[in-house]
Amino acid sequence: MKGARGRRWRHLVGIALVLAWTLPPFLYLVMLSIKPERILIDRSQVFFWPTFERYRDLIGSGLGLPIWNSLVTSTLGSVGTLVLAGLAALTFSFLEFKWKTLLFLVILLPRMFPPVTTLIPIQLMLKTMGLIDTRLALIILFTGFQIPLAIWVLRTFLDDIPRELTESAALDGASLPVIIAKVILPLSGAGLLAAFILSFIFNWNEFLFPLIVTSFNARTGSVAIMSFTAGYKKLQWGTLATLGVVMTIPVILFVLAFRATLVRGFTAGALKG
Amino acid sequence: MGMRWAMLGRGRLYFWLLTLPAVLYVVTWRLAPALYTVWLSLTQYNIVYDNLPRWNQFANFGRIMHDRGLGGSLFLSVEFALIATAAELVIGLAAALFFDTDPPGRNLLLGIFLLPMIMVPVVVGTVWSTLFDRTVGPIPYAFQLLHGPTIQWLATPATAMFALLIADAWEWAPLVTLLLFAALQVIPREQFEAARVDGASGWQLFRRITLPQIAGMVLVAAGLRMMDAFLELDKVFVMTGGGPGTSTQFVSMFVYKQAFQFYELGYASAVIIVVLILLAVAYGIYLRSSGRAFRLASP
Repeated sequence: MKGARGRRWRHLVGIALVLAWTLPPFLYLVMLSIKPERILIDRSQVFFWPTFERYRDLIGSGLGLPIWNSLVTSTLGSVGTLVLAGLAALTFSFLEFKWKTLLFLVILLPRMFPPVTTLIPIQLMLKTMGLIDTRLALIILFTGFQIPLAIWVLRTFLDDIPRELTESAALDGASLPVIIAKVILPLSGAGLLAAFILSFIFNWNEFLFPLIVTSFNARTGSVAIMSFTAGYKKLQWGTLATLGVVMTIPVILFVLAFRATLVRGFTAGALKG
Repeated sequence: MGMRWAMLGRGRLYFWLLTLPAVLYVVTWRLAPALYTVWLSLTQYNIVYDNLPRWNQFANFGRIMHDRGLGGSLFLSVEFALIATAAELVIGLAAALFFDTDPPGRNLLLGIFLLPMIMVPVVVGTVWSTLFDRTVGPIPYAFQLLHGPTIQWLATPATAMFALLIADAWEWAPLVTLLLFAALQVIPREQFEAARVDGASGWQLFRRITLPQIAGMVLVAAGLRMMDAFLELDKVFVMTGGGPGTSTQFVSMFVYKQAFQFYELGYASAVIIVVLILLAVAYGIYLRSSGRAFRLASP
């Protein structure tokens, strides 16, 4: 079918396919989370009165803490990353100096070896420092993990700031901190937001390091999910589904709210990663 | 783009203040631990039995040579990476081509399509665990309704691998789509118009115009996915735990068990080093052959 009507049809089919591929698996999880316990394994029952008791119970149960830990460590980790990476990205974007490429490589090098590489030493290091099973340890780790990516993303955004502004400010005698505060910072909102969201999502999704480095007090939501894969907990599909849905909510919110910024940041980060 | 130091006054001090925190951080928490892993690989260090790491030169590496379990894991990881990447390239490209036709609501649709890739990987594993589960899963139920065979999806070696592959394709095809879509958007529309005027068919348009211009990005996507799928851990952990037996024990799972179930930190470190070397070699070959493929593909 050619022409406008054919194209409209193809679009509809394509949209339907995309939605059919992406949504049903996740929606099934949502359905499990609100399905009454009695009929949980009765798969023929697709229509039912939903129950939200699992969501109410989640906060009080032992699963409220992991979610809170995820929230705290992801946010503070991202803040730490933004501070450190932001300062460094300023030099990479605005200044010319002799060892620039070398320094850049040093920062990017860690991205080239997979996370497992540093797993064992980091666990030993944290043990020596007495930081096992603390949120602080996770915050420290998360800050470091996202520095290379954040520098890259921030630098891309900083490159877009017109140099005339900074140069005229410098010519007027402003010192560097003033230039940063008065000229650069106000214009880097989008970059900071993109870097924050990206690093937050990656921190939120972290599994292996929290698994190794925490046990009861500081374990994150992702680790809590894993505890459902064995023993009696394996049968608690409803609770597991609820936890899974809750762990996905922030991600959905961020994507819906900041689609354009994210796509830009992701392509920049993924391309060079 | 660069500003002169003189303009900033006390330039050197500011420079160090700006970059030192990040550099120190990366060195302490990323680079130094990596070097420590190298050192550990040359020691015998079972955290339960050994008080301190004991230097044993290359004994760990000798042991690696004879480790059938590791060989099996490497094979499984490569197999998984190849099939998963191939599937993701095909599906991702199809979706990218569709998004390139500018359907209504494209940005929102793209955002939804990206959801699996941004979700927590252990939740992706959870989602597919529920879908394949004997008691709550719709897939076994569908088989049951259609009087098909009763398959223990995650408890049978072949189907467990299949389940992992489907989950991985669902999760990561969107990344391929994102990359290829970016590449497709850059192709000038006039090329298609001109070719269509000359009577070119859809297939010819694809092969002669589209394909050469996205070839680079296809290679980038393939390289990214191969490496990440090779090191896949989160979904395997949740869905199969490496089982049944060791039929889905990928490399990362093998290392995890060596280090945190058998407590052989020295040996695990050696395995990590070997895997890294293999990856570096593979990456080198990939760079070399993609450069060559590029030169061949260009008209």
